[in-house]
Amino acid sequence: METNQKSRSLLKATVISLVIAIVVLVLFILPAEYNIDPTGVGEKLGLTVFNNEAKPVDTAVSKQGQQDSVILIVPAGKGIEYKLAMKQYSKATYEWTTESGELYVDLHGEPKGDTTGYFESYTIATANEMKGSFTAPFEGSHGWYWKNKSNKDIQVQLIFNGEYAIEGLK
Amino acid sequence: MLGKLKLTYLLYPLLILCAMASVEVFAHGVDDSTRNFLQNNTGVQILPFMYIGAKHMLTGYDHLLFLVGVLFFLHRGKDVLLYVSMFTIGHSLTLMTGVLANIQVNAYLIDAVIGLSVIYKGFDNLGGFKHFFGTQPNPKKAVLIFGLFHGFGLATKIQEFQLPTEGLATNLLAFNIGVELGQLLALMFILLAINYWRQFSSFNKFATTTNTALMSAGFMLVGMQLTGYFLQ
Repeated sequence: METNQKSRSLLKATVISLVIAIVVLVLFILPAEYNIDPTGVGEKLGLTVFNNEAKPVDTAVSKQGQQDSVILIVPAGKGIEYKLAMKQYSKATYEWTTESGELYVDLHGEPKGDTTGYFESYTIATANEMKGSFTAPFEGSHGWYWKNKSNKDIQVQLIFNGEYAIEGLK
Repeated sequence: MLGKLKLTYLLYPLLILCAMASVEVFAHGVDDSTRNFLQNNTGVQILPFMYIGAKHMLTGYDHLLFLVGVLFFLHRGKDVLLYVSMFTIGHSLTLMTGVLANIQVNAYLIDAVIGLSVIYKGFDNLGGFKHFFGTQPNPKKAVLIFGLFHGFGLATKIQEFQLPTEGLATNLLAFNIGVELGQLLALMFILLAINYWRQFSSFNKFATTTNTALMSAGFMLVGMQLTGYFLQ
């Protein structure tokens, strides 16, 4: 009598555990892990989201309209360069201002893979702010060379957006 | 011994445990930063490998579920030590030889067996084997044997990365030590919880429910891994 009861309770435990496992597997685990979703519940709960093809997102390449900004210090009597890697015909708009004082600036581009030191200047000026845009004439490294001709460090804020990957200070 | 440890002794490792257990829990995979490290590392790197080992153990719910099952009815410190040692010997053996001898086992199948070990232990705790087969399989041997499978499971995780042979044995040993440290931390947590619960009558009332739940989790693991095996 008692062994029968024990058998029954053991069977009950096994069956219950199996049923729960199957339900959880079918409703949640298989949809999330393998995109197998016979009931559609996984989809409704948004669990199949893990299996959506990951879109190739190149984190370094800014999306159109996304703005980047950087604050740089040009040391007294020195020059710095800040560059963006851009493909041919890709575009960037920019705006920069110094906190105080004027900087010599040369906005230019260097073709990718070039070893001769060739570069093409788009803008050369001495100013405390500038706004504009440019389209890269060739694939390569494009950006600003600032030279501080004063005897005090000058801080410059650069805001830009477009199609590029930031290379940063050179 | 372990069972008699004061609560306060267990609090410090618990804090460390909390700090180490990251939000992302992976029983099968390894997260991206770890993957990045493993694929780019060269030479002997003792601490990083120890850390990965410990983290793997602490976040590997399949290993932890099995330990919960094994420890559920053990309240004597001596028994805890004995069973944990059997498990450690088992998984260390296959972890080291599996990687060093380059024994290739399918990760899904191994993880399915690990799921099976959880079902086995839940059923054993319910008294199922004794009742249906008259005898209980020697629980110490069972822990050792399932420990071997858990070790193969660990080995497959390491093998995924085709680590450079330079410093492999040392790195592996560091990983293994990390696994044991992680296990120690996990054990303290599990023992603390179980031994605390054991003081209340609800422990015995819910023993059946708990072990049924354990079995259910085991079935889920088996189902998940076998599906993965057939889909690969």
